[in-house]
Amino acid sequence: MKKAILSVLCVMLLIVAAVTGATAKDQVVIYTSLENEEVVDYLELAKKELPDLDIQAIRLSTGELGARMLAEKENPQADCIWGWAVTNMSEFVPKGMLKPYKPKGWDKIPAKFKDPNGYWTAIDLYAAAIVPNTKVLEEKGLPMPKGWNDLLNPAYKGMLIMPNPASSGTGFLQVASLLVLLDPDYKNKPVEENKAWDFLKKLDKNMGQYIKSGSKPAKLTAAGEYAIGCSFAFVYSSLKKKGFPVALVMPEEGAGYELEANALLKGARHEKAAMKFLDWAISQSAMKQYATFKLGVTYPGIPGPEDLPALETIKLAPMDFPWQSKNREKILEVWQNLFLK
Amino acid sequence: MASNSNGSDVLGRYQVSPLRMEIDRFVIPAVTIFIALLLSFFMLFPLSAILKLSFFKGGEFALSNFTLDNFQKYFTTGYTLRALWHSLYVAFTTTIIVTVITFFFAYGMTRTTIAGKAFFRNIIMMPLVAPSIVQALALIYLFGRNGLITAHLFQTDWSIYGPTGIIVSEVLYCLPHSYVILYTTLSAVDIRLDEAAESLGATPFKVFTRITLPSAKYGIFSAAALTFNLTITDFGNPVVIGGDYNVLATEIYAQVTNLYRFDLGATISIILLVPSLMAFVLNYYISRKSFSMISGAAKPVIPPSRPLKKFGYTTFCSLIALSIIVIFVTVVFGSFVKVWPYDWSLTLQHYQFPSIAGYSALWTSVWVSLVVGIAGAFLTLVAGYVMETRKPFLKQFVYLLSVMPAAIPGLVMGLGYILAFNKPHYFFYGTPWIIVINIIICNFTLGILSSISNLRNIDPSVEEASISLGGDTFRTFFKIIFPLSRVAFFQNFLYFFMRSMTTISAVIFLVSATVHLAAIEIIMLDNDGWTASANAMCTCIILIVLAMLGVLKIVSLKTGGGMKGLTAEV
Repeated sequence: MKKAILSVLCVMLLIVAAVTGATAKDQVVIYTSLENEEVVDYLELAKKELPDLDIQAIRLSTGELGARMLAEKENPQADCIWGWAVTNMSEFVPKGMLKPYKPKGWDKIPAKFKDPNGYWTAIDLYAAAIVPNTKVLEEKGLPMPKGWNDLLNPAYKGMLIMPNPASSGTGFLQVASLLVLLDPDYKNKPVEENKAWDFLKKLDKNMGQYIKSGSKPAKLTAAGEYAIGCSFAFVYSSLKKKGFPVALVMPEEGAGYELEANALLKGARHEKAAMKFLDWAISQSAMKQYATFKLGVTYPGIPGPEDLPALETIKLAPMDFPWQSKNREKILEVWQNLFLK
Repeated sequence: MASNSNGSDVLGRYQVSPLRMEIDRFVIPAVTIFIALLLSFFMLFPLSAILKLSFFKGGEFALSNFTLDNFQKYFTTGYTLRALWHSLYVAFTTTIIVTVITFFFAYGMTRTTIAGKAFFRNIIMMPLVAPSIVQALALIYLFGRNGLITAHLFQTDWSIYGPTGIIVSEVLYCLPHSYVILYTTLSAVDIRLDEAAESLGATPFKVFTRITLPSAKYGIFSAAALTFNLTITDFGNPVVIGGDYNVLATEIYAQVTNLYRFDLGATISIILLVPSLMAFVLNYYISRKSFSMISGAAKPVIPPSRPLKKFGYTTFCSLIALSIIVIFVTVVFGSFVKVWPYDWSLTLQHYQFPSIAGYSALWTSVWVSLVVGIAGAFLTLVAGYVMETRKPFLKQFVYLLSVMPAAIPGLVMGLGYILAFNKPHYFFYGTPWIIVINIIICNFTLGILSSISNLRNIDPSVEEASISLGGDTFRTFFKIIFPLSRVAFFQNFLYFFMRSMTTISAVIFLVSATVHLAAIEIIMLDNDGWTASANAMCTCIILIVLAMLGVLKIVSLKTGGGMKGLTAEV
């Protein structure tokens, strides 16, 4: 029996060693809300170009990432944030949880894409898009929509799907863009009186489901579960490449968009390694890699992916980031009370 | 356990060094205190953090901060209040369906002479080896808006998203848990009562309603309470198949992650704790009573069943088994199909996981589960031993602490862990150890109950012999109790291993950039719309758990320990 106990102990020790196995490289812990698919691709490059860093990352949804940071306020587990919605990022600046850092090459990024004090630096822009399933539209004899207004067509009843703005950054930018687009007077009235809510109520009649993630509406539509998914642009190109019968519609009223930015966390345990990573994350080679997925990157002179329309040709919605950041909680509250069954 | 000899008196007559005797006297209390502290610190302390945050402004404990604002907000907000009704509706409906199904299934296994019992028994235990969301994933493939059966066989627009989907998947998930209890109940009740009634001229219907049902009523209540608890606390199935239909467990997650309202998340946790605690207390009270109904002279010989009865039960059990098989086949097959349900060509591409962690999450899960299995099985055995020893110390208190985790929803425990332990001085936060501890604590109840029932089966005279021959507590435990509990140890190891491989709700708040777990990856993959890869990850987990089952079977055959009841026990 002693043997058995000894061997059990040995196994446990081995496991302990394996689990906590330390590496000689400098560790850096990253939270990101970039899509899993892209992160896998970017990290491959990062590991090649930053061989002395041991990069540990977790992909969280826009909301989950914020919740993690708040929960860990007294004991930050991450060193830096990579590709997180600026709307949410700006909420965290006054909370004193970010540390200003101007990464190498910061000057190359145009001023409108970065915080003047260096709290955050945006890397890319991604835009809302409508992704219909052409096969389903054809089978059911439905017209191809051109923008948000077309989606009110009663023929689409139950066949639309859009992300829940509370859990998905994509969902939030869609709603936020409509609030600004449909009510020019949005700044001078309480959020709940915005005219866009009437539009969203009408849209709700056609909505099959509000779903947790921003890419899933397009993916479910591609799989034929719905006719039209409100999602974002690059998920369309990856689905198209895989052979799904999908089309891309940039809403004619103006496509809502969001910037995704990086930041250094205050109290980061591996600050030096984190700075090294943040330097890389706005470097030209990283940006080129982002540009294989994203509609636009903030590094000047890098064109977007070939299978997406060029950024200059797209009509973007007038976004008001400071306003939507300040009113985020209120907007979500109104939305949830109206549309959660 | 009744002690009929005074340990120290017996010891005194033999030559054991007095110092060792002195030390030995403190072993049991010391170990007991250690276990009590462990459970208090890793269960009561996180719970207190949740209570504090829901009842006190800013979570600061002070009388002036006491507030019911959070509860008021909860009960006056439409969609959060609806989550409560949704949860209760889903849980009650599932409980009724599961209890009826498993009762007749268990009846078929214990009271009829149908063929293929071993097959049926193994199949109904299958859901235990997979993450709870396997049901939801398969149902979407079959009955989703573009499901194989709904859209392609019947071409209807109906889909299973929402309450129906949650109920069906919870039913399939709860079958094994409820079945084990009812099987034990029905095989323990003396079947000769039925025979006697029948020979006195009672109709089969009368025998069933007057004898069979009443004699099994405690088991039925107990199974129902367990199902209710499992359903109302489950997070995986509602999050995958619930669509817009929110339940308490998903609402806790939504409040915390979407709105950063930790206080409301804590408040909903408290609201979720009420029904699950009630079900637990009911179960605890009933299961104590049920022993009185079990006759020691129960006779396992079953008279041959009438052909019609045999046919009916065979059909019924086959249907249930078939549904479970269909679920598993769908998920495993679905992980190899290129584009379900358009392109049926087979591919391995879904096994290239489009996530940061990928296969490393799977290996981490295996390591963590091995540690959880060994540590959990050992800890519950030790805890069981100190409680069942001849001179227990603080027995009632430790027992209560040990059975409590079953009443606490995993998600609530996870949230409590973040709130309580995320301080710089808790060095284990953010390491795999917090996950290991969390899983052991969350599943402590079943482990300790099976350890205790096993220890009661060990003839006390063996232990007495060891003590009278001069064995101290340590030696008795390692030389007598541990070897004799080998089977129970393996069973508990397997139970902890399986739970650790498949659990979702408890650890979803605890996975980190350095520790990814496979079961959580499934949720993330599905959430991102990579359903086929989610199926692939599910398949990997199922294979690993089945492999572990196989390994343990071989080990137990080699060491000669009977492991027949291995799956039936967990």
